[in-house]
Amino acid sequence: MPSLLRADGVTRTFGSFTAVDDVSLTVEPGEVVGLLGANGAGKTTLIRMILGLLPPTSGDLELFGDAPSRAGRARLGYVPQGLGLWSSLTAVENLDFVDDTFGSGTSELPPELKPVANELVADLGLGHQRQLAFAAALGHGPELLVLDEPTSGVDPLSRSRLWDQIHDHADAGVGVLVTTHYMQEAQQCDRLVLMSRGRAVAAGTERDIIGDTVAYEVDSPHWQRTFDVLGSAGMLVTLSGTRVRVVDGSGRAVAAALEGAGVEHTVHEAHATLEEAMTARER
Amino acid sequence: MRAMILKEFRELRRDRRTMAMLVIMPIVLLTIFGYAANFSVDEISTAVVGDSADAVESQLPDLFVPLDAADIPDESPEDLVRDNVADVVIDTSTTPPTAYLDGSSLFMAQTADAALGRLGPDAITIDILFNPDLETSAVMVPALIGLILTFIGTIITSIGLVKERQNGTIEQLAVMPLKPTDVIIGKIAPYFILASLDMVIITLLGVWIFDVPFNGSVWLFAAGGAIFLFVVLGLGVLISTASQTQAQAIQLAIMMLLPQVLLSGFIFPLESMPEAIAWIGRVLPLTYFVQISQGIMLRGADFSSLWLPFVVLIGMAVVIFTAAVLRFRRDLAPTRHSKKAGK
Repeated sequence: MPSLLRADGVTRTFGSFTAVDDVSLTVEPGEVVGLLGANGAGKTTLIRMILGLLPPTSGDLELFGDAPSRAGRARLGYVPQGLGLWSSLTAVENLDFVDDTFGSGTSELPPELKPVANELVADLGLGHQRQLAFAAALGHGPELLVLDEPTSGVDPLSRSRLWDQIHDHADAGVGVLVTTHYMQEAQQCDRLVLMSRGRAVAAGTERDIIGDTVAYEVDSPHWQRTFDVLGSAGMLVTLSGTRVRVVDGSGRAVAAALEGAGVEHTVHEAHATLEEAMTARER
Repeated sequence: MRAMILKEFRELRRDRRTMAMLVIMPIVLLTIFGYAANFSVDEISTAVVGDSADAVESQLPDLFVPLDAADIPDESPEDLVRDNVADVVIDTSTTPPTAYLDGSSLFMAQTADAALGRLGPDAITIDILFNPDLETSAVMVPALIGLILTFIGTIITSIGLVKERQNGTIEQLAVMPLKPTDVIIGKIAPYFILASLDMVIITLLGVWIFDVPFNGSVWLFAAGGAIFLFVVLGLGVLISTASQTQAQAIQLAIMMLLPQVLLSGFIFPLESMPEAIAWIGRVLPLTYFVQISQGIMLRGADFSSLWLPFVVLIGMAVVIFTAAVLRFRRDLAPTRHSKKAGK
């Protein structure tokens, strides 16, 4: 059985700029694949190619075992970052239009949206708009869901509900490709592809992405001074509360820098987080 | 405040369309207005028919430019005027000779009426056809129908289409299992229907309120209106494909609309304009719709005398609508995909 989505060495250039460079990726049924990367990493360009909005400059791209096409799009649900809702239609009218277009019968409004069913989308809060966009994307029973920053700007409770929905569909066999730069969301994915400057620089589970990236935690009563000294020494320094963390350096170099500056400290090795691993790769 | 003014100028400098409206439009308008805004008619094409044609022709003021007898078809004087063979037809078989004037060409008819009147009532009888009282509204209303359709076709349609792009929903349409033609027809059909209804309402109001005659075929008029609508809707779609925001679409639409108002011949006669300016008028669709609507409503003209504006409008409709659809389609389906893009 072919993958729902298969990209093989896909590249897209705009003049001399390479937005996506030789990226390969697959999404299988029931799998939630996270596409991670900073702004400008090439995630949206890759999504646009997958949706057939942009042809690849080179490489092979298959949706349901074939080139992206109208027939393929009928089996796909898409929630764009901008949600793609018609703001001068009501919630129900938006769903009706999508149902008619996909020929999928009448979709049921999610219970949370029933009280606002006849309100214009422009008057709905962002949380309701996102729920509606999800309902519209799911109404025709898609086999593959493509979600571009699906929970951006949503409160934690609504975010958690949307992820429950994503997992419910994945459990029912739907493949999900989701772009995000929220690390907590990345942890909800079965598999991750990390993009940086157009390239897929790492792929696998969260553990695979973190790889052998290490972090050093520094405890010191003078955490601000610690932060300044290590930053001035050119290290990648982050703060976790008042605890200073150094990513991808060496424990010995950290200690040497602090001793040289006469800062009281203790250093110990810790697991790098996904965000730290990403930052280290971006550096 | 200084910072605010500086910021505004910097933004304006980079907004080429607004700059064009601010700088180029006034110059273009002044030039065109200066040359085109001319109500006076210097030449009136005249067909002199009947036995004493040569004698009468020689007595006519220079304003009247006689046609060669060989170019005048063997028709009644009324038909010669109706079919636009000449602006004035003088029948010398009556005593005194009768001058038939085309009342649907308002300024020409007024000029000819005054010039012939000076010859004296015994010298010539004047019969103004199609708009005997030389009512301005009778000439203006058929042309205004075209102007209103142009307004709806370009401004309203382009705004409606750009809204889809501005809200990001055009991308959503592009990823739905819709054919580009479904989207294009679905987007344009409501405007076509609404503009058609508008055309009916304006025409009826013009006839009822302003007593504008409707002497010709309703079906021919409807056909002309439908073809013209395709042209202006095509222009609206073209404008939308060249605009990112509704404000840009309105700017472009106004740039399209203004020359049509001034140079389509319904305010200032094309014949009174310098040839170069008149040629601008001759490439504008409204010019031809005005010829059709005035011809059908006032003169009761049939297709045999209106085939030229019909053919020109059909040509424009095909070219503009095809270009519009192709450009709109490019937004929806940028290129066809092959399974292998090549490595």
